[in-house]
Amino acid sequence: MKRRWHHVILVAGVMSILTSALRPARIPETYRITGQAQGTTYAITYYADQKLVSKTQADSIFKSLDASLSIYQPGSLISRFNASQEAVEMDAHFANVIEKSMQIYRTTGGLFDITVYPLVRAWGFGVKATDAMPDSAAIHRLLPCVGSDKLKMEGLRLVKTAPCVQIDVNGIAQGYSVDVLASFLEARGIANYMVEVGGEIRTKGRKLPGNEPMNIGIETPSANVFDAPAIREVISIGDGAVTTSGSYRKFRESGGMRLSHIIDPKTGYPVQREIISATVVAPEAITADGFDNALLAAGIDGAFEILRAHPGMEAYLIYRKPDGTVADTASAGFGRYVVAER
Amino acid sequence: MTQTATSRRDFIATGLAAMAGAGLSAAFSPAFGKAVRPADKIRLGIIGTGSRGAGLATLIHEMPDYELVACCDIIPENLQNGLSLAAQNAQGYADYRKLLDDKSIDAVVIATPLYLHYPMAVAALQAGKHIYLEKSMTYDIPQAIDLVKKVKASGLVFQIGYQYRYYGLYHRVKEIIKENWLGKITHFECQYNRNSNWRFPVKDPKMERAINWRMYREYCGGPLSELCAHEIDVVNYLTDSRPLKVVGLGGINYWKDGRDTYDNIRTVYDYPHGVKASVTSVLSNAYNGYSIRILGDKATVEILRDKAFIYPEITNNAKGVVDGVTGATIAATTQGKGVEVKFGKPGEADLEPTVFALKDFAECVRNKKEPVSNVETGRDGSIAIHMGNAAADTEKVQYWKPEYSA
Ligand SMILES: NC(=O)c1ccc[n+]([C@@H]2O[C@H](COP(=O)([O-])OP(=O)(O)OC[C@H]3O[C@@H](n4cnc5c(N)ncnc54)[C@H](O)[C@@H]3O)[C@@H](O)[C@H]2O)c1
Repeated sequence: MKRRWHHVILVAGVMSILTSALRPARIPETYRITGQAQGTTYAITYYADQKLVSKTQADSIFKSLDASLSIYQPGSLISRFNASQEAVEMDAHFANVIEKSMQIYRTTGGLFDITVYPLVRAWGFGVKATDAMPDSAAIHRLLPCVGSDKLKMEGLRLVKTAPCVQIDVNGIAQGYSVDVLASFLEARGIANYMVEVGGEIRTKGRKLPGNEPMNIGIETPSANVFDAPAIREVISIGDGAVTTSGSYRKFRESGGMRLSHIIDPKTGYPVQREIISATVVAPEAITADGFDNALLAAGIDGAFEILRAHPGMEAYLIYRKPDGTVADTASAGFGRYVVAER
Repeated sequence: MTQTATSRRDFIATGLAAMAGAGLSAAFSPAFGKAVRPADKIRLGIIGTGSRGAGLATLIHEMPDYELVACCDIIPENLQNGLSLAAQNAQGYADYRKLLDDKSIDAVVIATPLYLHYPMAVAALQAGKHIYLEKSMTYDIPQAIDLVKKVKASGLVFQIGYQYRYYGLYHRVKEIIKENWLGKITHFECQYNRNSNWRFPVKDPKMERAINWRMYREYCGGPLSELCAHEIDVVNYLTDSRPLKVVGLGGINYWKDGRDTYDNIRTVYDYPHGVKASVTSVLSNAYNGYSIRILGDKATVEILRDKAFIYPEITNNAKGVVDGVTGATIAATTQGKGVEVKFGKPGEADLEPTVFALKDFAECVRNKKEPVSNVETGRDGSIAIHMGNAAADTEKVQYWKPEYSA
C-alpha cells in the first residue's frame, strides 16, 4: 500500500513534466498558497511558469493526513488505534510515520517516543486542556503504558502489547506533512519551492526568476505566546529541511514554574532542560522534526552526542545559562548554512 | 454585647484618641492595629439592604470572617430581607444613626443610593466604624475631596466597593500589560450597555423615587455613576493613573419616561501619555453588555464579565527580511482569533469577585492595612464620573483641576 502511493505520485510527476516541456518558455512567477491546518498555519511558495497546485489540493492532502494522524479527530486511524485493545490496520501515512518514529526512538535511546501520549494527557497537553496537575502516583500508574518497545509492526498491522498504550505523533507529523506536500509539488514538476507548516520548512531550488537563495529565519524564543516572531539567525539550506522545537510557546505555568509540553518518557515528568529551542537541518523534514524534540529533551551534552552519531544532520540550539541569560550553540557543520551575522 | 466586644471597642476608642494628634502618616500605625484580633469575627452592620446590600449579606453569610449583627433600611420589607440573612439576634434599624450608636459594631457596609454615601460615611467615621462603602464613592466632587481628608484623619479602614480590583481576571490583565503582551497601549474602549428601562417595579406610586433613584439626578449620576463607574475605576487601576480631561455627549432619547438621568452617554477620557478611554452606556442595546477593550499595537484584550480574550495583531515584520521562519509551532488560534486569558490559581474556587473584595476588607480591618480600593482611588473614580457628566451636560471639555488631588 505504501509503495503504491509513492508510485501514483511518480506517475503524476512524469506526466506534468512532460506537459510543461511542451509549452513555450515564460518568465517564472511566484505562487503562494496559505491556509490553516493541523491547528497552525501553512504556507507553500513555489516558482513556476504557471499555476500548478491549488489550495484545494493542499487542503485535501491535509485532510488525508488528519484522517490518519490527528489525535484531535475521534475517527482518525490514530484515535482508533488509541481506543483499540490491540491493533489497527495502517494506511500509508500512518505506516511511514510509525516506522520513522520507531527508528528515531531507537537511535535516541528512547528520548523521542510516541507512546508518551498517556503522560502528555495527564499533564494537560492532550486534546483537552486540564487545569489539574497529576500527582506522582498518577504518573507512576501511567509509566507501564509508555515505551515504544510496546509497539510492534506486523506487516501493515500496528500492534500494542498492552491496551493502555496510546500514541501521539504530533512531534513528527508536521515534518512528515511538509515532506508529503514537497513530494506533491515535485510530482507536479515544481523544482523551486518552500513548504512551511507551523514553522517546519522544506526548500528546494531557488527563487525565480532572480535565482536568489531562499532565506529562512530562526526565531528567537519569545517571552510569551503572542509575541510576533523575531529573528535571531538567518540560514539558507539549499535542498533540504529545517524544523524547530521550542519549549517557549507551549507550556503551562504552575507555582511560578513553566512546565514544558515535552514530557520525558522515562521519568514521566515535563522536560526541564536548559535548551529552549532546537533547530535541526536534515534532508527530510520528518527526520529533522523527529530529532528536534529529542535534542530538546537531551540537554546540550546529550544533544551533541546524538548529533555526532548522525552526521547527516546539523543543529542550532538556543539555551538558558545558569545565570538566566540566553545563549546559542551549534554543531560544527551548521555554520555553512548561516547567511548573515545579525 | 459580650465582654470581649466591649473591650475591643474600648481599644478602638483609645486608638482613635491617640490618632487625633498623630497626623496622617501614622494613620495605619501598628499601635492602632489590634482593634480586631485575628481570631475574632468582625461584627458587621449593613446600612441599606436593598438589592446590593442583600446580595452582600448573602455572600457574608457564607464567610467565616464576619458576623452580621445589624441591618438598617427605611423600607421594612428590605430590612426584613437583610435580617433574614443576618445572625440570629441581629438588630434591625430604620435610622442608620442608631445602628452607628451600637458600640459593639466594628465595621459597616453602606449600600444605599449614591446621594447618601457621603453623609452616611461621615457619620460612620465619626462613630469609629471601619467602612465598606459601595461604589461609586460620592455624589459630587467636593464630597469626594472632603471624604479623603476625613478618612485619613480617622485612621479607619475605608474600602470602596469596586470588587474588580480584587478579581484574578483583572490582576492577570494587569500582569499581561506589564509583561508587554499588548505592546504600546493607546486606547481603552469601555461600554456598559443594557436593553431595558433599568427600572424596578413600584407597587406604591409614592415609592417611585425611592426605588427608581437611578432615574433622577437628585440621587445619582445616572449610567455613568451607577454602571460605568466600574470601568472608569478599572482603567484607573490598569493604568495606575487618572484622567486629565474628558469630552462627552449624553441624552434621553429612547426611554422618555420621566427620568432625568441620561439613557445614553458617551464620553472620551484623556489619560497621561495620550491614552484615551471611551466610556459608553447605552440603555437600548445589550450586545456584549459589559466590555472593556484594551488596544495595544501588538494585541487587543477584550474583558467581558468573567472572562477575557486576547487578539494578537497580525504582524509580518519578521517575514519581510526572510522567505520563511522556523520556530516553535504557533497555534493558529493565536492569529486573528481570540485566546482566552487564563487566570486564578489552579484549584482555586471560582468565586464571585465581591467575595475576594470582602475577604480583603476583613484582612485590612484585622491588620490595619490600606485597601487596594481606597478613599483616594474612590475619589479619582468619583471625580472622573462627575467630570464626564459635566462634559455631557455643558458640552464643554472638563479638566482635572490640581486641587482635586492636592
Ligand atoms: N459593586 C457593585 O457591583 C454594585 C452592584 C449593585 C449596586 N451597587 C451599589 O450599591 C448601592 C445600592 O444599590 P442597590 O442596587 O442595592 O439599590 P437599591 O435601591 O436596591 O437599594 C438601596 C437600599 O437603600 C435603602 N435606603 C435608602 N435610604 C436609606 C436610608 N436613609 N437609610 C437606610 N437605608 C436606606 C433603600 O431602602 C434600599 O433598600 C449603590 O451605590 C450602587 O451603586 C454596587
